[in-house]
Amino acid sequence: MNVKKICAYAVATFLILTVAFRLVAGEGFESGTVTSQMVREKAVTPEILTNTVLEQVFVSECDRITELTLLGTNYGKNVDDELRLTVLDGDGQTVASAGLNTAGLPDSFLWSIPVENSTGGHRGEMLTLQVTSVAGSTGNAVSLFYGDTISAGKYELDIPVEHPLSVDGDAVTGQLCLSVRGESRYPLARYYWHTMAALLVLLLLFCWWMIDSDRRGRSNLILRLLSAATRYRFLLKQLVQRDFKTKYKRSILGVLWSFMNPLLTMMVMYIVFSTLFKSNIVNFPVYLLTGIVCWNFFSEVTGSCLTSITGNTALITKVYVPKYMYPLSRAISSTVNLGLSLIPLVIVMLLTGTRLTVRILLLPFPILCLFLFSFGMGLLLASMMVFFRDTQFLWGVISMLWMYLTPIFYDAEIIPAQYMTLYKMNPLYHIIRIMRILLINGVSPEPKAYLLCAAVSLIPLFLGALVFKKAQDRFVLYL
Amino acid sequence: MIEVNHVSLCYRMSAERVSGMKEFLVQALQGKLQYKEFWALQDVDFSIEKGEVLGLVGANGAGKSTMLKVISGILKPTKGTVTVHGNIVPMLELGSGFDLELTGRENVFLNGAILGYSEDFLKEKYQEIVDFSELGEFIEMPLRNYSSGMITRLAFSIATVVKPDILIVDEILSVGDAAFQKKSKNRMMELMSGGTTVLLVSHSAEQITEMCSRAIWLEKGTMKMIGPAADVCRAYEEGQA
Repeated sequence: MNVKKICAYAVATFLILTVAFRLVAGEGFESGTVTSQMVREKAVTPEILTNTVLEQVFVSECDRITELTLLGTNYGKNVDDELRLTVLDGDGQTVASAGLNTAGLPDSFLWSIPVENSTGGHRGEMLTLQVTSVAGSTGNAVSLFYGDTISAGKYELDIPVEHPLSVDGDAVTGQLCLSVRGESRYPLARYYWHTMAALLVLLLLFCWWMIDSDRRGRSNLILRLLSAATRYRFLLKQLVQRDFKTKYKRSILGVLWSFMNPLLTMMVMYIVFSTLFKSNIVNFPVYLLTGIVCWNFFSEVTGSCLTSITGNTALITKVYVPKYMYPLSRAISSTVNLGLSLIPLVIVMLLTGTRLTVRILLLPFPILCLFLFSFGMGLLLASMMVFFRDTQFLWGVISMLWMYLTPIFYDAEIIPAQYMTLYKMNPLYHIIRIMRILLINGVSPEPKAYLLCAAVSLIPLFLGALVFKKAQDRFVLYL
Repeated sequence: MIEVNHVSLCYRMSAERVSGMKEFLVQALQGKLQYKEFWALQDVDFSIEKGEVLGLVGANGAGKSTMLKVISGILKPTKGTVTVHGNIVPMLELGSGFDLELTGRENVFLNGAILGYSEDFLKEKYQEIVDFSELGEFIEMPLRNYSSGMITRLAFSIATVVKPDILIVDEILSVGDAAFQKKSKNRMMELMSGGTTVLLVSHSAEQITEMCSRAIWLEKGTMKMIGPAADVCRAYEEGQA
């Protein structure tokens, strides 16, 4: 085994990936578009006349406002007026201003007003939107909607109105139906090259340490793993081949099931959730299929790893093979399956007219995270299963619960805000979210998303590996 | 070649077999989680030189098979260490890695990989394995269509194709019909006489005397006697009688 060669490969791969990632991620990595959610309309303000002042305080979610969207009515008439919109900061300085010509606007509809002269750097600030009219007179004026609920899936959730809309200084019971769209810059992206340079230095130091250990004949965990990788590669290949060959053996459609399964599940769910339950998710087929593909992989890996030790009793008690080979081979054969089920995903994307962008090249990142996370869980379950055979039944229930706690067929927005932190502990949430942003929006998610995704996948992996390592010597006594 | 240093192995058997999480929790909470300790091996200490043929004799349940499993790495000793230099081919139970859904050919590679053979080696020796097993055309059929004799023949052919540094044999295997039994016995003899280190377990003291230079007599997990095969076997037979 040539440690120097492996180190050279590792460094080269790191450099290529670092540059390639930055090039491919491009749009969306440094800055992204944020759109705040509009409250659901409940009532309408009085007509906005020349002396009316509407004031709505809101917290800016973006750095620079690019568009304001209001929900308004012209009472079915063609109102000839101009609305003046001014956004002020806490000191009363104008942050952005725009005008809206009311002639020819659709009635009771979203009115989008582009903002061009806005200043930047207002994320998290409390801003005030003032709406006034230039020539509004009774019978020739528009009104705006306000409300105090947000729509989440098929539900309406009450929200606490901290900053009610004020009409001429009097507060009404609700917030203006306002959606602020703007550009947000991610501070983390600025340190991308610094972080990568630091990681490179660490990698080089690590390589130096490895080469040094190798020369002195000292062994360490990584060297052992490397030698095991070369030694057991053939066995792994054989085990994966076996899993794959026996899976569809004696079924007529054979490997076609790998394509059909996610596709059919998606069709069933699509019919159920687009007719029985209303959902207002954009590009629902792709949204659904992404979730299903991820979930299927997770449940396949955990399910097959669960029985990987107990199911191979005959081998484990007769021949010495590193025990992690059994769950690992199953996880890898599921990954082959995942690769196959990405094909129907691409087909559905093409059929629904989703734009295929170069960002698809970033998919290996969430897939790798998904693999590591699922494998970690698989190791944990496999070791538990040896000592407690109840694990498989328990896992059946837990995994069903887990499925509903994962945004597969619904939008995570419907989760009440107070449970959101807890909800986001689910690694699958982050992984599926990244995949959807890459596939549906065709942009890169923010840098924080990658970090979170990696962190929530690696923690269960380490945990699972640790438990497995500690328990593996006792497996044979309990089989 | 093999060094066994004061090896002890303890099976912890719970007094009542606990195999459920609920039972485990209930008993753990009640403090009833008692284990009966069973020492399958106690302070076994010996070493085998390169090329030596060592026999293990003992009654049923004396710890012979456990000893072989400890040496081949399947069981980890509770106390003591085992150091092994060279590759081991354990012939404990043939064909345990077979998958009945796969064809004979696929199983040759699968089982070969499990025994630790390399891909190139298997490709090179593939024909030899098939020839020795006398399976002919059947090699392309799924194993579930094989007779049990055919399966053991194939398993034997895979296991003995390699010339290992250390061969661990639990009872001399004689498989198949009379003709194949003779052939397989010859192959075993060939392997054992070719400079390979052999660890042989047998009930038959006669066989040990015939084949081994040294022998160990195990009784209830402890080493009762170690020495030249003939002496140990004589003592063992007298002890039995």
